[in-house]
Amino acid sequence: MAPLQKRALFCLAIGLIFVIALITVFLLEGDVTAFNRDETLRYMVYAVLIGVPLTYLILIDLTLRKPRQVDERDRLIMLKSGRIQWLAIIFSFAAWTITLTEVYREERQIPVVFLTLLFMFTLIISILAQSFGILLYYWRMDRGQSN
Amino acid sequence: MGRVTNRIRRLRFDHGEMTQEELANKVGCTRQTIIALEQGKYVPSIDLAFRVARAFGAPLEEIFQYEDKKQ
Repeated sequence: MAPLQKRALFCLAIGLIFVIALITVFLLEGDVTAFNRDETLRYMVYAVLIGVPLTYLILIDLTLRKPRQVDERDRLIMLKSGRIQWLAIIFSFAAWTITLTEVYREERQIPVVFLTLLFMFTLIISILAQSFGILLYYWRMDRGQSN
Repeated sequence: MGRVTNRIRRLRFDHGEMTQEELANKVGCTRQTIIALEQGKYVPSIDLAFRVARAFGAPLEEIFQYEDKKQ
């Protein structure tokens, strides 16, 4: 396994743990308005907001600066993974827009907490999608001459 | 589309059984890329191809061949 591939795998696993933990907390709390009521939940969300990009920075970004850890093949895979990242962001925005429009259509306004959630979700999705993209393109390359 | 093949594995053997790690260090790439090259799963850039050729002291076309699928 290439160093970048290992790190993408760690990044994906850690990111998924963060996301599952967050969803579990929101489910236990009842709904998203708990974000305004519960201070602990808010700090947890902020921790995830900082924790996930920090994990990405340590596991992926710093790896790319070490010449012995990555080469042209890894950089090509990184570049290709951007396509998955872009698609994930676009589809997540579409899902958010449709869901929020349908749920809050009658009220004609959405709770302000969704601004934070939307930003956080997009950030996490972006990092998870890139890690997933890296793993996907390594897998595809391992299957045959695909570059 | 054709297929690019190479004789890297053979040439490593001919050069005193050079390891993949040694070749990777010589050409400045990771061992995983050498493995992918030998297995024909990755086509190198022209830059890396020249560095591999230089590491073996052989002309490029002696190491890399282009095979047309129709042949």
